[in-house]
Amino acid sequence: MMQQGKSSSSGSEMQVTWEDQQNINTFSRLNNRFHELEDDIKFAKEKCDNLEDAGNELILSDEEMVRFQIGEVFAHMPREEVETKIEEMKEATCKSLEKLQQEKESIVSQMAELKKVLYAKFKDSINLEED
Amino acid sequence: MSSSSPSGSGGDDLSERRGIPAAKFIQDVETYLSQSGFDSNSALAFHQERLQQYKVVEMKLLAQQRDLQAKIPDIEKCLEVVATLEARKGTGEVELGCALILAAYLKTFSLKVLISMLACEIEHVVSQNIVLASLEESTETSFKSCLIVTAEHVVSRNISLLADFEVSEGIYSRACIEDTDSVCLWLGANVMLEYSCEEATALLRNNLENAKASLEVLVADLQFLRDQVTVTQVTIARIYNYDVHQRRVKQVTPTAIAAADA
Repeated sequence: MMQQGKSSSSGSEMQVTWEDQQNINTFSRLNNRFHELEDDIKFAKEKCDNLEDAGNELILSDEEMVRFQIGEVFAHMPREEVETKIEEMKEATCKSLEKLQQEKESIVSQMAELKKVLYAKFKDSINLEED
Repeated sequence: MSSSSPSGSGGDDLSERRGIPAAKFIQDVETYLSQSGFDSNSALAFHQERLQQYKVVEMKLLAQQRDLQAKIPDIEKCLEVVATLEARKGTGEVELGCALILAAYLKTFSLKVLISMLACEIEHVVSQNIVLASLEESTETSFKSCLIVTAEHVVSRNISLLADFEVSEGIYSRACIEDTDSVCLWLGANVMLEYSCEEATALLRNNLENAKASLEVLVADLQFLRDQVTVTQVTIARIYNYDVHQRRVKQVTPTAIAAADA
């Protein structure tokens, strides 16, 4: 789960202060959140693509009544209503996708900062890379 | 869970959270070992055991989190369905309301109004009549300006909603859902209750809020737990390093003495 490892040094007495511990904890939290975000972004992107495809299919088809999935059932709905709904859903998904990506970027930069600080203090005694 | 041994505390915010004991941060390994009376091996064993216990709790919390994360989209889907049913039901009144407002507008301004309905079927004969009546009145006025008011896009109303639902894997059946004021909600434990649409929406919204709140608390718990796991891992590493360092010092001293004697 936590990708960072703490390799033992060659016996040097490296003092770990409370501040260092908190930095390590923060880094761990950010790392976890980063992985969760990656999954969320993948999911949101898939959803966005699906909605895009659905919209295109709708344009291509010329049926008047379209079956639109609500929950577990497919309700017969007139085409325009389905179009509107798909537009709304697309907008909402794209917006949330954007927000997720922004959060991911901020986390990446925060992690880079922490890496600098921790590597400066511990040099070889700490490993903050993904396996 | 075993109580944490006294050691140089690093100022933990909580000593425990919902039954999860906090891992005390050790300022100095040597002081810790002398104070607690542990030697390196037993200290290591103690912390390893703590780590295992944390892992067990983490598994449990992760399972709970997965359950909640599956439950929330379910509740949202139910809300969507109830909202759709309500919307279907509601269009009748909305149409009537629009037509009445239109009639009032016409009366006030006495404009000759040309209303062109777009390709939609208004099934409310009542509303049609009201609009027609206002038209007759306004033609008596002397105003020449015409205002073309196009009726808002009206959903062509079928009285019943047709829905295809899954009977079994790959087999779907059609249902004709009449306009209704009430829905039945499955509450679990083989219990299903009938609610009015508003009550159902309120109940589902409540459930959704609760689920989201529990999820938040759970996520905070998990974060706390992960912090404790990290602290414990770092402590284990430091005790191990200290031990290695001690052994090396011990090895050096006898060889130094032997060299001096020789």
